[in-house]
Amino acid sequence: MSDYDEDAPVLVAVVNNETDFARARDEGWYRIPVKRAPRRVAAEFLALYQTRAFGGVGCAVNFYAPVRRFHVLTRAELLPDEPDHPRAADAYYKIEIGPLQPLARPVPSRALRRISFIPTTLSRLLAAREINDLWLRDDPQERLWLALREAGLLVEYRCQVSQPGGDLAVDFALFCRDGRIAVLCDDADDDETGLRERRPVDYELTAEGWTVLRFSQQELAAELPRCAGAVIALARRLGGQGDLATDYTD
Amino acid sequence: MRLGFPVKVLGQAGLKEHDSRRWQNSPHLSVSLAYLRDIFEYLRRERIGMYRISSDLAPYLTHPELTQFHGQIEECAAELAAVGDLAREIGLRLSFHPSQYVVLNTPDEALVVRSALDVTTQAELLERMGLDDEAVVVLHVGGVYEGRERARERFVVAFERLPEPARRRLALENDDTRFGVADILWIHQRTGVRLIFDNLHHHNFNPDGQPLREALAACLATWPAGVRPKVHFSSPRTEMRIAEQHDPATGRRVQRLQAPIWTRHSDFIHPFEFIAFLRATAGLRPFDVMLEAKGKDLALLRLRADVQRYAPDLAGGIT
Repeated sequence: MSDYDEDAPVLVAVVNNETDFARARDEGWYRIPVKRAPRRVAAEFLALYQTRAFGGVGCAVNFYAPVRRFHVLTRAELLPDEPDHPRAADAYYKIEIGPLQPLARPVPSRALRRISFIPTTLSRLLAAREINDLWLRDDPQERLWLALREAGLLVEYRCQVSQPGGDLAVDFALFCRDGRIAVLCDDADDDETGLRERRPVDYELTAEGWTVLRFSQQELAAELPRCAGAVIALARRLGGQGDLATDYTD
Repeated sequence: MRLGFPVKVLGQAGLKEHDSRRWQNSPHLSVSLAYLRDIFEYLRRERIGMYRISSDLAPYLTHPELTQFHGQIEECAAELAAVGDLAREIGLRLSFHPSQYVVLNTPDEALVVRSALDVTTQAELLERMGLDDEAVVVLHVGGVYEGRERARERFVVAFERLPEPARRRLALENDDTRFGVADILWIHQRTGVRLIFDNLHHHNFNPDGQPLREALAACLATWPAGVRPKVHFSSPRTEMRIAEQHDPATGRRVQRLQAPIWTRHSDFIHPFEFIAFLRATAGLRPFDVMLEAKGKDLALLRLRADVQRYAPDLAGGIT
């Protein structure tokens, strides 16, 4: 695939069962419900994140394939063996793909986190060491992420937090020895995952033991060192990240 | 009044406007339509109501030798309909503007045929999306061959040879060096084609000295009742240009500064020019404005904020 543009868009999609993986591998397609599609669905490559259901090879992106074409079909057209499914009439994107290619270096999720769709590029996919490397984007949030990484911190990007009332999405999560930090970037492009969780409010997170920091996009753009410094100082007050941070920077 | 911008999205990284893979990697219209869907979602978030689609949406569709791509419109009927549904849901006005290589009035018959095919194809894409009569394919008259009058006549002949959907979708724009508003009005009187008034082109090429308001009103009147006309607006680049030239004395290439050319587009829309344009055209039939600026959507968003700041009395009517 050397003649592809290194900036070719890649959509990382989740596969959580053997049947869907076999469809991708043997029949060359993947499906996404139109109603739950992420903000960015178009791509020239599809990469598959296999969940923990796949055992030892799970919680990692192991394969990718070129996108051949998109179809818009009903579920009944897509899966004719399931005509009575409750969503049989719903529209789906069927993404036709070429042969699965193994990644020379699989991209693991070190924190074994749940993920959904991640838009990235071919060069990022091929160079990534772990799942957070895929999220990089050229915006203020990305620069904050880079600043925290350069400070040696382990930061989970676009992390879902399970709560009794439903999952919450935080922009960055940092797990420290004496506590957890949730960083929320207000007015952020926060639906990129295609997930539709309610936006967290501070008290819900605080009640679950998180310390919350909020930054506006304008603050991130104009005062990045101050924002990053606030996160770094708080991480220190919460005992730092110990071996996690050391491990991450190798 | 809806503001729109052409093709490339700058406000959000990673949004492509078409499948640009080389033919060996089998690009597909359906992938371009998926890109278009992602752009539409961005436009929805930014409340932008008008957009010009890339002329390369359907890769190699009219390439004479790559026949494997020729059936993609038929293959993508469902996907085209889905993108059209989304455009209607958002209230998005769409258009095409074929490249400068599409010339209907050339004496070169082979080029006329190829140009007609491109126009027809783009019209068919809009048809397949199920869009109303606001969605147009915007074209210039073309070149001056054997005199302006003969060139205009040749455009009329080529227009009449187009299939019906292409004739219905076509809109004709005044240009900045060859065919002004009087010329396109002449063609309109013989064909019924709708006219797009371009303000910068009119400033640059107005041999009849027609006042702007009068010229604009004449173009607006060519649109049927119930179909909102649209115009193009841009500001001229004013900075020095850097030209690279061969220095015969040294044999090396050197950079020289040159004065600006007023036909080139600026990065952003000059807010005071735009506000003056709105005030000068107050009371005319309502129209939409396609902004032609190198800053694309960023220019649109900035202009919206500028109008709010410098002419708040006009801002309410602009989206």
